[in-house]
Amino acid sequence: MAHFAKLSESNEVLTVLTLNNSDMLNADDVETESIGQQYLETHNNWPAEMWIQTSYNTLGGQHSNGGTAFRGNYASIGYTWDVDNQIFWPKKPYSSWVKHISSASWKSPIGDASALTDEQTDENTAETHRWRYVWNETNTTWDLTNELA
Amino acid sequence: MQKKILTDQSIYYGNVSMPENWEIDRIELSHHILQSNLTDTKLQLSKTFDKLNDYVREHINLKYSFNLINKETWGNIYKPNETTVPLLNVDPVDLRNSPDYTLLYGVKTKDCMVRIYYDDNRRKGRSWDIEIKDNMFIMFPSTNMYYLTNNQKDSLNFVQTITYEYI
Repeated sequence: MAHFAKLSESNEVLTVLTLNNSDMLNADDVETESIGQQYLETHNNWPAEMWIQTSYNTLGGQHSNGGTAFRGNYASIGYTWDVDNQIFWPKKPYSSWVKHISSASWKSPIGDASALTDEQTDENTAETHRWRYVWNETNTTWDLTNELA
Repeated sequence: MQKKILTDQSIYYGNVSMPENWEIDRIELSHHILQSNLTDTKLQLSKTFDKLNDYVREHINLKYSFNLINKETWGNIYKPNETTVPLLNVDPVDLRNSPDYTLLYGVKTKDCMVRIYYDDNRRKGRSWDIEIKDNMFIMFPSTNMYYLTNNQKDSLNFVQTITYEYI
C-alpha cells in the first residue's frame, strides 16, 4: 500500500490517500511515483504533480522499521510540503522556531531544553513534583516549571 | 474571567481557486442545472461536481478543522429581476434529517445578491448581504433563512446549492 498527499496550491496537505501498489507499477513492474500520480490525477480530479508520495513509517526523519526515511515525516492534513528540502513539515509550533532539516522537525532557536537533573527526575518518579521545561515564546527561553505547583 | 463559546454562527465564502487548467467547468454545471430543471429530475452528478465538492470539503477541513458530509444538491435558474421567497433548508419538524450547512455556488451569475438573516441575541432578524459572483461560494448554517435577488437585465443566473452535515 502506498500513500500520497494531495497538495493545495500553497503546498498544504489537503488529504492523504492510499493507493494499491499495483496501481503504480511501470512497464518493468517497478513501483513508480509518477505512475501513481497519473493514476490519482485520472481518478481523483487533481493534477498529477500535486500528489506527492509519503511514507507511513517515516517520522522525524527516521524510518520506524529501520528502513530508509522518506520525505521527513508521514504527511497529514495541514502539513506543508517543502519542495526544496523534500520534507513534509508539521505546523510550526512557535513563530520563533526554525527548521531542523536532518530531524525533519522544528527546533527552538536556542536548541533543545536541558535535561532534567537526577534530583528532578527522582521527584517526578516519586510524583512529588512534575518538572518539565516549557517553551516561553516571549523570552525565547526554556522555563523549568513544576506542573504540580 | 473565562469565556465558553456555546455555538458558532459563521459564514464561509470565497472563490474556488482550483489549480491552473483544472478550473471548475461551470458551463457543464449550468447544462446539468438546465437539464435538471427542464426534466424535473435530480441534478446529474459529475466529475466537475466532485471537483467543486472536494475543494470545499477539503479546504474547510484544512482551514477550520471540521468535516462536511454531503446531504443534497440541486441547481436553480433565476430570471432577470427575480427575487426568491425566503428560503430555509432545515425542516423544523425533522431536524434530525436536516442539514447543518447550506452552500451556494455561483455557476453563472450577474448582479445576484444573497441576503442571510441571523439573530444577534435579542436583536432578531438582522441580515448580511453579499453578492454571489461567478465561481464563488457562500456557506452558512442551514438554520439561517436567506433569499436571493437577481438584478441582472438580460441573462439567466445559475446557482448550485449543496447541503452538508458536519462532524
